[in-house]
Amino acid sequence: MATYDFIFSSLGLEDWCAAGQSDAPMSMAALLQKTKGTTGEPESLWDTPFPSMDALNESCAAFPQSRDLTKGLEEGFLAVKDSMSIVLDPLTQPLSWALDGTLYGMLNTPWWIVIPLLLAVVFFVTKSWKLVAFVAASLCLLAFIDYYRYAMETLAIIFVCAFLCVLFGVPIGIAMSRSNMMQRLTVPVLDMLQTLPPFVYLIPLIFLFSVTESKLYGIAIILYAIVPVIRLTNLGIRLVDKDVIEAADAFGMTSHQKLFKVQIPLALPNIMAGVNQTIMMSLAMVVIASLVSAPGLGVLVLQGIRNLELGVGLVAGLGIVILAVILDRVTKASLARINASQNQ
Amino acid sequence: MERNIKISIRNLYKIFGPVPDVALAYVRRGMGKAELLEKHNHVLGLQDINVDIHEGEITVIMGLSGSGKSTLIRHLNRLIEPTAGEVEVDGENVLAYDEDKLRKLRREQMSMVFQKFALLPHKTVLENAGMALLVRGFSVQEFEGEAKKWLARVGLEGNEYQYPHQLSGGMQQRVGIARALASNSPIMLMDEAFSALDPLIRSDMQDLLLELQEELQKTVVFITHDLDESLKLADHLVILKDGHIVQQGEPQEILMNPNDSYITDFISDINRARVLRVRSIMEKTKEAPEECAGDISERDNLESVIARSNGDTNLTYRVVRKGNQVGILKMEELVKALVPLEAAEGDARSRY
Repeated sequence: MATYDFIFSSLGLEDWCAAGQSDAPMSMAALLQKTKGTTGEPESLWDTPFPSMDALNESCAAFPQSRDLTKGLEEGFLAVKDSMSIVLDPLTQPLSWALDGTLYGMLNTPWWIVIPLLLAVVFFVTKSWKLVAFVAASLCLLAFIDYYRYAMETLAIIFVCAFLCVLFGVPIGIAMSRSNMMQRLTVPVLDMLQTLPPFVYLIPLIFLFSVTESKLYGIAIILYAIVPVIRLTNLGIRLVDKDVIEAADAFGMTSHQKLFKVQIPLALPNIMAGVNQTIMMSLAMVVIASLVSAPGLGVLVLQGIRNLELGVGLVAGLGIVILAVILDRVTKASLARINASQNQ
Repeated sequence: MERNIKISIRNLYKIFGPVPDVALAYVRRGMGKAELLEKHNHVLGLQDINVDIHEGEITVIMGLSGSGKSTLIRHLNRLIEPTAGEVEVDGENVLAYDEDKLRKLRREQMSMVFQKFALLPHKTVLENAGMALLVRGFSVQEFEGEAKKWLARVGLEGNEYQYPHQLSGGMQQRVGIARALASNSPIMLMDEAFSALDPLIRSDMQDLLLELQEELQKTVVFITHDLDESLKLADHLVILKDGHIVQQGEPQEILMNPNDSYITDFISDINRARVLRVRSIMEKTKEAPEECAGDISERDNLESVIARSNGDTNLTYRVVRKGNQVGILKMEELVKALVPLEAAEGDARSRY
């Protein structure tokens, strides 16, 4: 007999409890008790257990144990998994195509086209020769130590995922800024996405999609990295000077004109700060995503851990740092250019 | 000369709070601002406002901060919705307008100048000046000429391709005025347009506004907390306090006959010699004075008359309008008029 027997007896649920009774020991502790022949009755008030699921289960066998909860969740997920896959699979298929296509494109174009192309993009967004030289040196260093292929894989994944983050994140952020209701609904989801340990949302994805499909890590990266661009778009639009918005209203702008001619241009510094954060977060996630078959420098880090290859792991880590610095400097420089054109 | 009524505000109330309609009933039964805030947690913004704004005049709405003047001007183009009352523009009830008609009104009938300029920081001065036209769907090439014309008119020739942050405050507000003028709307709303500028530039801008007004004859509604400014600009002066109108009328009339101690306090600090004009204090008569020291215009201010008399209080002047005598002015009377009057007692429309 256990501590909380009185609850079930006072509620008259003994019959219901007895229905769940079985003689087989349900846990190791129960087995030990059974063999020792002692009862589970606590000796003093000091040892009274919290009325948890397991403690209540001791009093009433029909009451679920906590492992039934996790098991139920798993079974529930497995039950809806197939129907979810039917909907989600075709919806997310373009992501696989985009990732595979970009990876194929970047890896099969010769280096003497890809590197100048990247440098041209850097110059276009930053207009700074210094930065172009820095990026050129970094890429050449990576290529020289034969990490070019891995670095390009990582970059290709980041490009696709960051682009999709902006593509979906900015409109979500705009929607949030326009309705307080939308903001109240979205903020808890964003909080959850941001604080959930990144490994945790790999788990349901593994169940949903095949590990061989590239969209698996694509979705993980996008979910993890989309948060800042949404938040900062929302914030940026909400922070637009109220007086300017009032002037736009007073001159009879439609809400469409207001959005594209006033709000988005004025929120652009904040949106770009969000894009910078999104790129940095997708870089962090692309390493973790190598656990679920994402190619790139992360694979080498993983190899370093698995096979205790210290040198490989360290150099790959350094390569990630170099990529991070490049991406950060380039996005920050383009952000500074936008800021300079509209400082007030 | 009586002009058409362009905008007519009738029994306008604005109450801020969760259930303004309920609060309105209390206010109509005579509850004051302080009591309403304390007992029902609603802020009385505007209370029973009735103003006729005449075409081609500058109507100045003056009050201290919190008096509801900025709230009032935003009712004219419905940036703020009233709790009760009517706003008519050219005889049409603006409050009945749907979104499209309201947008048309804002685009074509009314333009607005703001205290904090509210220019678009990412657009050039030229694009800012043409904002009203841009909103109506014209391209930059199409409105360039018009915008340049108005920028030149407010003295900003050569600054067209600069950005607002490269200009000083006074120049930014000139862009604001050019933007309002370029919309070619008959009504111009100016919300504390010059309050953020330093005194010398403010005076320049007031002169600019009067000069433009002479030429364009727009219907201007001007908000200010500065009495000197309102006396300089106003054809019709409305004084607001705590959301209700204390007195309205011709500025000279208000100066000579303040009907409330609030206004008396207000006008006690001003330079009466500069704002009062001969016509307000002269004795109306067609008879020629016995000893005439000379002719003065009815539009002269007292300062100029004192300067002319060299401080001699025994003189008498003949007041003329277009060459004909309309009255006489004794210097003795002039000196008396420089002392502020107490509010005419019993006339005070105190609401508390």
